[in-house]
Amino acid sequence: MVSALEIYQLLPTAACKECGYASCMALAVALLRREKKLDDCPPLFDPKYAEKLNKLKELLAPLEQASETGLIIHAEKCFGCGNCVVACPVNVANDPTGSAVGLGPKSDKVILIVENGIVMCPNPDECRRFGPNKILCNACTATCPSKAIEFV
Amino acid sequence: MLCEDIEVALKVGAIEKSKNLCRKGQGHFQALFTERTVPCIEGIETSEEKAIAKAAEILRDADSPLFYGWSNSSLEAQKTGIELAKKLESKIDDTSSFCQGILLERVLKGTLPSCALDDVRNFADVSVFWGSDPSNSHPRHLSRFSYYPRGSKRQKGYDQDRNCVVIDVRKSSTSKLCSNYLRIPPGSDAELIEALLAIQDGKMPRFGEKKRIIELATILKKAEFGVIFPGLGLIYSLTNKMEIFDGFLAKLNAISNYKVIPMGGHYNTRGFNELMLNETGYINQVSFKNGMHHGPENDVINAAKSCDVCVVVGSDPLSALPFETAHSLAKSKLIAIDPRKSLTTEAASVVIPSAMYGLEAGGTAIRMDGLKISFEPIIESDLLSDEELLRRIIEAV
Amino acid sequence: MEIRDIFQYEVGKKSRFSSEFQGLCAQIIIDKEDMAQLKMNGGQNVWLENDVGKVVVTARRTEDESHPGLGFMTNRLWSNQLVRVDGVGCLIPEFKAIKVRVSGSNKGVTKLSELLERMRR
Repeated sequence: MVSALEIYQLLPTAACKECGYASCMALAVALLRREKKLDDCPPLFDPKYAEKLNKLKELLAPLEQASETGLIIHAEKCFGCGNCVVACPVNVANDPTGSAVGLGPKSDKVILIVENGIVMCPNPDECRRFGPNKILCNACTATCPSKAIEFV
Repeated sequence: MLCEDIEVALKVGAIEKSKNLCRKGQGHFQALFTERTVPCIEGIETSEEKAIAKAAEILRDADSPLFYGWSNSSLEAQKTGIELAKKLESKIDDTSSFCQGILLERVLKGTLPSCALDDVRNFADVSVFWGSDPSNSHPRHLSRFSYYPRGSKRQKGYDQDRNCVVIDVRKSSTSKLCSNYLRIPPGSDAELIEALLAIQDGKMPRFGEKKRIIELATILKKAEFGVIFPGLGLIYSLTNKMEIFDGFLAKLNAISNYKVIPMGGHYNTRGFNELMLNETGYINQVSFKNGMHHGPENDVINAAKSCDVCVVVGSDPLSALPFETAHSLAKSKLIAIDPRKSLTTEAASVVIPSAMYGLEAGGTAIRMDGLKISFEPIIESDLLSDEELLRRIIEAV
Repeated sequence: MEIRDIFQYEVGKKSRFSSEFQGLCAQIIIDKEDMAQLKMNGGQNVWLENDVGKVVVTARRTEDESHPGLGFMTNRLWSNQLVRVDGVGCLIPEFKAIKVRVSGSNKGVTKLSELLERMRR
């Protein structure tokens, strides 16, 4: 996963404040959190920064797939093992006769399921990392053998 | 293939959608649609009847036939295969011969205690993966049974209720998930066992990082219901000295409660071993020539050197076995009964296509923990199952 | 040493004869210290040979904790060219203790067709 520092090193670092932030590092963090877009940095679109702009687009592309919770699934890495499905506390609470006991989900209110051999996230809104009372749950990332699940 | 919660919708030539299939299972279902075998004699396509007739002709003339494979066939097919091997007074062996057989035999004869995978889910508080990497070999093992699910006595979740231990020579995918990972040098499992037993006797271990070994010994000792899942890493390390593991289990069970479930690689290895044990008193490596004999001369590695005909059922020994053995088999007359193309079917004198079990043909299998599971076909197929093909060959020889 | 790999299994189920499957089988994962000794970074081809046989495979650098002197190959045709089988009485070949010499190679990875040909000779 890209870091704020890597993003910062590719910005013009003019500290022009056109993005609304006092420093380019603050913009870098906001880009990582998806609170700002690259369009919010006009100096970046000067032709002399074309290479850096392309690199930034490449680095930030995976974040566009991330859900509102910041969850990203790298399908090509997923084993389809179902560890995340079974370990997810929301899955367990909402699906006591399915995910909780190691079977495929029987409830529609689960966050994670395995479909076509890889994990999918049909209900990201139910995730504990989302919403006003969000907490830093990492049950799915901690149980993944291949880092197929990440959070932004 | 033996997971009971799989849902699949198929369309022409592909899977439309599936649920609860791991990546391995997805691959298995996708195998329906690619590289399927056709009936062949010496590489030239023919009809199924002619291929069966040719196979029967070759077998009638054979001096020292060998029947090999079996782990990817149903119990019904395995039983028919044993009947055919008896009729032709041939040797018969399976993939467990150089694999999990050495442990499976102990489990089946009761010299190593075992249990059901559902018992693991319901009761196990310590799961030990010794020389095995289920994340790659049995992807749903941890989520369905051995670490992550709740069970009747394990209600609080894996982080409170269970310990997962991995003993391996490298940082495998499974070891990244378990807080109790012990890395040992290759081939040193016997020394580790000796060290653990020394600690049990109140002595300091003379192997590895002492603190880590003592921690491991403490975890093992405190288990209410421990299960060891040995893989090929342990088996190939101990090889013919498996009595070291027997002794370790016996001593461990004097102070704790441990079961063993060998990590069988194919879905019905145990089925063949159980049938053979009932039929002959041995799980594999049997010759039916002039009575019934058992011994290493009948295992595929040795028998390959002397067999003139080898019938391979649902297996690919030319890829899976050492070159010398594969070379010997390739020089014999190979009869391959297989739904899919492989190196073995490429080299075979006769190829007889078969239906894929669980997809195109139904049957029964015995899971690695001894549970008998029946499966029905999910699509119609004109292809005959291994059982039906072997029955036709019996009638023709 | 042979290991199991889920991706190799999946691809093998779709096609045993594809270049993708060959690529996943005909490779050895080597520690970075050993790579440095071979003066390689990863992605180059190497000879693996012993008194049983020899093959050319691609060397990849490990992404995990170091394991100098130890290389890992997914279990298949290429690793089996090097596995010793002793005389009568041996039950289990040395799939996890394959001793080989490793050296750089300018040749392409040994093809599946060549290995099949070797078997038929």
